[in-house]
Amino acid sequence: MTTDAEQELKDRLSLIENMIAEGRRTTSSWGWVFVLWGVAYYVAIAWSTWGLAGPIWSRNYYLAWPVTMIAASALTVFLAARKFGRQPPTTIGRAMSAIWVAMGISMFVLLLPLGISGKSEQQVLVAVIAAMLGSTNAASSMILKWMPQFACAIVWWLAAVASIFGSVTQSTVVFLVAIFLCQIVFGIYGMIFEAHLRKQRGGSHA
Amino acid sequence: MPELPELNPVIHGKLRLALLSLLSGVEEADFTWLRTKTGSTDGNLGAQLLKLEEAGYVTVKKRFVQRKPQTLYRMTEQGRTALSEYVQALRALLGAAI
Repeated sequence: MTTDAEQELKDRLSLIENMIAEGRRTTSSWGWVFVLWGVAYYVAIAWSTWGLAGPIWSRNYYLAWPVTMIAASALTVFLAARKFGRQPPTTIGRAMSAIWVAMGISMFVLLLPLGISGKSEQQVLVAVIAAMLGSTNAASSMILKWMPQFACAIVWWLAAVASIFGSVTQSTVVFLVAIFLCQIVFGIYGMIFEAHLRKQRGGSHA
Repeated sequence: MPELPELNPVIHGKLRLALLSLLSGVEEADFTWLRTKTGSTDGNLGAQLLKLEEAGYVTVKKRFVQRKPQTLYRMTEQGRTALSEYVQALRALLGAAI
């Protein structure tokens, strides 16, 4: 085989690899969701903690979590539809949506009755939320083979254990720190990482 | 000397190869997305997709989204097998060079 023919075949192989990767890249660019939900958690915590001293609409503090979570869900769906509406579905994308949506539903189904019935002890509540977020982040990191997200899962699991053994104040501090590290910091890291990937990718047309 | 495998001429075209590779990574994709990813013209892209459809490597589904027509392409099992065989043939031809 001549050198030219060999080079052409190598180019074909490289084209296949680039295009397969290009098709699969559609699942990235989700860092902003972590930041959005981090802010939503902080809003819900602030509203439920200081709502009574604030304006009249904020005094229904028991609505803080359901209203904020529903608003954050609606905003996520709206922004995701605008951002990824035209992108083709991938198996990995469907797996990711499935685990996060399932976690969201489980949390809603569990927390709403607990809030209404008043059977919620804060340390246990924080531990349950942290453990659920830990398992979802771990599953997501294993699907994406993305180790930094597994570090987030470990932080959530540690927060769950710390919350059970700590006082109410310590549990609150642990929750706030875990949100900051695993939602805000990790989300911003994700956004920077994705922007770097997009820049690296450049044009890979056939 | 062992006989070298032949490369499938339907897949060997650069744009058709790119299209099949793109479709192998997604469940289905619309015409606009494929055009953006390949940087091809509408006419050329339509012609190459038709060849892949005639070979049974992709299926086409047309629908309306917010009153706008959308054409969706999905890779068939036959297409997946053909691409896999093409890659194997390519590797065999290149042999120790890769």
